[in-house]
Amino acid sequence: MAGSDLYTGTLDLLILKAVSWGPRHGYAIGRWIRETTSDVLNVQEGALYPALHRLERKRLLEEEWRESETGRQAKYYSLTPAGRTHLRAERRRWEEYSGAVARALATT
Amino acid sequence: MSVFSHLRERARALFGRDRMEHDLDDEMRFHIERDVEERVRQGTDPVTARRAAVMAVGGVEQQKERVRDARGVGVLENLGADLRFALRALRRDPIFSVAAALVLALGIGAASAVYGIADAVLFASLPYPEPDRIVRVYQKYSNDNMFGLSMVDVMAIAEQQHSFSAFGVMRPGSGSVSAANATPEQRGIGRATSGFFTVLGVTPAAGRLLQPSDETPGAPQVMVLTHAQAVRWFGAPERAVGQAVQVDAVPYTVVGVLPPNVTNLAGWSPAMWAAMPLTPPQRRGPFGIRAFGRLKDGVTMESATRDLGSISERIFPIWKSSFRDSTSRLTPVDLRQAILGAESPRQVGLLAAGVFLVLLVAVANVAMLMLVRISAREPELAVRTALGASRWRLGRLLAGESIVLGAVAAVLGFALAVLILRLAPSFMPTLPRISNVSANARVAVAAAGAGLVSAVVAMISPMLSVLGRPVTSIVADRRVGAGKRTDRMRSVLVATEFGLALPLLFGAGLLFNSFVRLQRVNPGFNPDGTVAVSIGLPLARYQDPAAGLRFWRELESRVRSAAAFSTAGVSSNLPPTDAQDINNFDLKDKPVPPGGNEHLPPWMGASNGYFEALAIPLIEGRLFTPSDTGGNFPVAIVSQSWAKKYYPEGGAVGKQFISGGCTTCPLMTVIGVVGDVKYMGLGSSSDAVYEPLTQYLPSSANLVARVRGSTPSAGSFKALREIVGSMDPQIALVETTLRDEVDRSLDDPRRFATILGSFAFTTVLLASVGIFGLMAYTVRTRRREIGVRMALGAQPGSVVGMIVARGMRYAIAGSVIGIGIALLGGRWLRGFLFGVGSTDPATLALVTITLLTAATLACWFAARRAARIHPVEAIAGN
Repeated sequence: MAGSDLYTGTLDLLILKAVSWGPRHGYAIGRWIRETTSDVLNVQEGALYPALHRLERKRLLEEEWRESETGRQAKYYSLTPAGRTHLRAERRRWEEYSGAVARALATT
Repeated sequence: MSVFSHLRERARALFGRDRMEHDLDDEMRFHIERDVEERVRQGTDPVTARRAAVMAVGGVEQQKERVRDARGVGVLENLGADLRFALRALRRDPIFSVAAALVLALGIGAASAVYGIADAVLFASLPYPEPDRIVRVYQKYSNDNMFGLSMVDVMAIAEQQHSFSAFGVMRPGSGSVSAANATPEQRGIGRATSGFFTVLGVTPAAGRLLQPSDETPGAPQVMVLTHAQAVRWFGAPERAVGQAVQVDAVPYTVVGVLPPNVTNLAGWSPAMWAAMPLTPPQRRGPFGIRAFGRLKDGVTMESATRDLGSISERIFPIWKSSFRDSTSRLTPVDLRQAILGAESPRQVGLLAAGVFLVLLVAVANVAMLMLVRISAREPELAVRTALGASRWRLGRLLAGESIVLGAVAAVLGFALAVLILRLAPSFMPTLPRISNVSANARVAVAAAGAGLVSAVVAMISPMLSVLGRPVTSIVADRRVGAGKRTDRMRSVLVATEFGLALPLLFGAGLLFNSFVRLQRVNPGFNPDGTVAVSIGLPLARYQDPAAGLRFWRELESRVRSAAAFSTAGVSSNLPPTDAQDINNFDLKDKPVPPGGNEHLPPWMGASNGYFEALAIPLIEGRLFTPSDTGGNFPVAIVSQSWAKKYYPEGGAVGKQFISGGCTTCPLMTVIGVVGDVKYMGLGSSSDAVYEPLTQYLPSSANLVARVRGSTPSAGSFKALREIVGSMDPQIALVETTLRDEVDRSLDDPRRFATILGSFAFTTVLLASVGIFGLMAYTVRTRRREIGVRMALGAQPGSVVGMIVARGMRYAIAGSVIGIGIALLGGRWLRGFLFGVGSTDPATLALVTITLLTAATLACWFAARRAARIHPVEAIAGN
């Protein structure tokens, strides 16, 4: 259900990264992913919210209702300690993986 | 805040489900609003922006659904919702729901009731400490010939056995009993040794039980009362101890009272237990004593069998003159097995098999109804799919409905089981321990379990039908009805119903057939207009055989001369089922080869008047004469079957035999042959041997009298009571008519035929409803096709024929399989059958025709609707 150019598991990684600086709501997370990847990774909302809830169920994220920048109540997600550990581990895995793929492709 | 809204609040806080749904709504709304704002800021008009935002999330409801799925969600979390939803869906379709619940409840109720019966009769352990250590000891001639013990055996075991920590015996009997000056009544009296109570581990509620000193010949006569009898006579158990009681006019002293819950001891429930005197025997016989032992710790059944076997061998030579069956062995049998016998497990098994088939057919029927309903609900399911329900979710929906149905059916079924179990003891009184049945917690658990299993099994095929194909096809298929797969499943289910109904119908047919044949058996006497009273003579006053003989002769002549009766006679056995005595004999000219078993026909003392009263014809020789007084020239009359069996060449009259293994007694001579009479049940052989009362004087016998006019009335018994009372006011009578006795002997076959018949009727009904449902559905889905056919000139009749033919394909396919099952399974019924084979072709043909006729009718009812389809409407309509 993720965008076709989004590798499975990548969406989870990006979501965790998106909230690593502090709590964000779903809309902001989607927007952050789109903007930081320069629209290359266009997260479809259809995939975003199920992923958020899935991560919450795995206790990698926790939720909190608070007032948003526009003054409305919104659901904010933030990393749990487990989420932070998970992010670190996944990030290392991703770097090894992408590095390996890049090296392989770089060989002439 | 009212209690209810308070509870509601609590429940909400507890389950948090509403909150989650609420949050999800808010989260989605927030997202869309932010998106709309963003788009508006970029210059899109608000309406387009909103539409785009909603499109982007792929539809709000779908999104929520996906989130719910991602949350996991939960089997438990969603279970409540699924069930609530299922309940709503079921309420929308009351006819289906009520029909399905009732069908399942019928199956579940019957199944859990039979479980309750099996539990009480077969499985429940005996109410004694360590019941598995208790055995009954039999004199075993062969696997089918197991008898009680003689005093010789009892004393030998008591002296020589190494296997039992306790050993005791009892002998059932009855007598005229009274306390103080109450009128005597005929009650069951057990004679027992002290060891009998020790073996069973019974303790008294008041006073003491029997003790070894009570058994010495000549000891004071003492007895133990059951709690009920003590209360009845003396008001309280404590007050009974020390009281005097009369048994057959002999005074006994009550020494103790049994606890209130001890009514049945080792399979027998007399009103009181008297001490059995251990009188040294003169010969090895008669064999009326029931012996029981409690195995010592560490002693196995095998070693006890060896122990008793060696006792058999040791005593055989000593008593050879009166007992010549060297192959017979004293054999221990587990007490529960001994009480149950061979018959009752088979009877309960028959019930269980029948009820299992009913339950299976009910489940198949409900599964079929569910499949049909799914097809009818395809529009609804399609909309749900479009709204984002996953296939998995649809499956859960079905599961929820099925579970709710199963639960409702389990509750109704348990109620039905309670009702059935309440009636069971009066409907099947011959099953041992049937009086213990109750609708207990185990039956409730069985009903719940049956409900759950039925629900799960019933939803398998609907589940496969929904999960097995892409959801989109549900939408696409809509016009043409369900997919091939669902169609096939429905046909298989309907065929299954017929495949299971046929064997059950066949079984019921065989039992009915046997019953009818049994009913047609000539009992050998005319039971109409004949009354009988059973009388036990008080031993104390009739110990002298001459006194007993005088009593019977006097009674017979007084009844014969009474105005109410045309004729009367005396006999110790009462046909057709009351063979009080059977006896072994050995023909002088055709002795049983060494090691063989002597024959054991029903044996009785009778007067000439008995043959007259029952209209039993003399075929050869003569009846008794006053000069037949035993002594050195004992005589016997035999039945025609006996004569034909042992002297097929003829000439039975004048032949001689040894009676009861007594080689030192004078030989008995056959003086006459009379017509066959059944004494061991209508289905048994008609062997019988009669001795004159001068030779064979029973302490308990029957006076049989033929009434003037044709039907016995209350007045007939009153007349008999007056005659007996005028001779001896201390004597109690048990009254019956021979018509009642004949009817009673047919009770069991009739019951089992009726029970299996009602099972069979139920399954045939269910199968018919099933095929009706399927064909009605077919007509509905093929409305347009049928309309076209009729527009093109098809006659209504041929349309009906087409539908019926299609339905009959399933019914016939199922029946063919059913015939196979019936022929294989019929073997199993053999023990219940009389005069009809277990693969009886006529019965099979009849039940197949019956079943297919029912199917044809059901199909025809469904097809009639097809004939009423109006072509134009059908084609023009959707």
